[in-house]
Amino acid sequence: MRQHAQQAAEWIYRGVWGVLVQWFRVPDQPPTLPARPGEKVETFRPAEGFLKYLKFWFWLVVLVLDLGILGLWMAVFAADRVIGAILTPVALAAIIIPDVLAYLAIHLRYDTTWYVMSDRSLRIRRGIFSIHEVTITFENIQNVMLRQGPLQRYFGIADLEVQTAGGGSAGTAHGRSEDAGHTGLIEGIANAAELRDRIMARLRQSRTAGLGDEPAFGATTTHNPPSLWTAEHLALLREIREALCGDSSSVRG
Amino acid sequence: MAAPEYLSASSPFDPASIERPDPSLLTYYLLISALTLFGFPFVFLPYLCKYYTLRYKFDDQGVSMSWGVLFHRQVYLTYRRIQDIHVTRNLLHRWLGLAAVAVQTAAGSASAEMVIEGIRNPEALRDFLYSRMRGARPEHPADYTTSQASAEAARAPEPSDEALQLLRDIRDGIRGLRARVDRLEQQR
Repeated sequence: MRQHAQQAAEWIYRGVWGVLVQWFRVPDQPPTLPARPGEKVETFRPAEGFLKYLKFWFWLVVLVLDLGILGLWMAVFAADRVIGAILTPVALAAIIIPDVLAYLAIHLRYDTTWYVMSDRSLRIRRGIFSIHEVTITFENIQNVMLRQGPLQRYFGIADLEVQTAGGGSAGTAHGRSEDAGHTGLIEGIANAAELRDRIMARLRQSRTAGLGDEPAFGATTTHNPPSLWTAEHLALLREIREALCGDSSSVRG
Repeated sequence: MAAPEYLSASSPFDPASIERPDPSLLTYYLLISALTLFGFPFVFLPYLCKYYTLRYKFDDQGVSMSWGVLFHRQVYLTYRRIQDIHVTRNLLHRWLGLAAVAVQTAAGSASAEMVIEGIRNPEALRDFLYSRMRGARPEHPADYTTSQASAEAARAPEPSDEALQLLRDIRDGIRGLRARVDRLEQQR
């Protein structure tokens, strides 16, 4: 019985997903990042714990809301049995329909969240009806923030927020900064600390402040750019010096 | 600036040819305004003005965008200063094949400095902007891994050839001069 119910739920979910892909043009493929040959691109999504975390909140809210609706309906029923009986289907619908939709939304949210990381940049995509995608290069990242609440710790997940230079937004103050500018939120991942260290290692390699400054200027003073003077050039320059100095020495001599 | 190899191979997207937004942007504005029901004329009129005056110009260094009838507005930004690229596509956008490509610089506002709307191939535009962003390509020697360095080396003779030719000319000129000087000295 339980198995059948599970299979039915899966079919329904797949049907909804199919409608979203076919009619609502939700991309069913994860985003990609242009990469040079030899560069490795990693695609991942939130950890399993994130789904459990979302569902925990779901059950908590469902419990409170549905108990409220139930209490209201019982109060009406106690006051007037006829109205209470008429309102029974309404109360049932108010209890069941939003719950099913919310449960579906949680799974859809989980399945449409994608993170792509290459050696140079990061791309985050999330959303079902309004799909939002951010691309940030590591060169531009100013800081990386790791957040973890007690519940998230229990489920073994954490949120990682990368920020680029620029003005603050109201979104960051309230913790909901998904769509805010200058930030990229990687939420609900299990290896947040490891990811932070990797991004920070990239940041340390960078010699600029990440403010649109030209890194080449700082580099040319210390290293020669590899493409400017080749061995062939140097040989030619030596020949020129020889031609000149040989001349001057013969005049002197 | 030559397009990076991974782009030129896959897409014939040429941003320099984009000047006007796609006509489907007008459809989008129409639908968005229709959603407000009674507010339609008030919402649609500014959109109409924006659509008909919207101009894009993509050059080697940056992109400029201008619009407005009474209050004219022009934004110019260079690709190098782009901090992050946001691509937002709502349902209508997806049905019409459009997207809002918001480009952020390090200026002090949370809203995007430029929102490029009405481009037929938003993914290609996004990748074009990305490829010109800081940090999307190797910039300094510390970044050179072996594969990138070899790719760079293959490309290197291109710009240095001119210098090489110049140096050769200088050498030959000096040799000629020296030969003449020697001859003159011998005659004396």
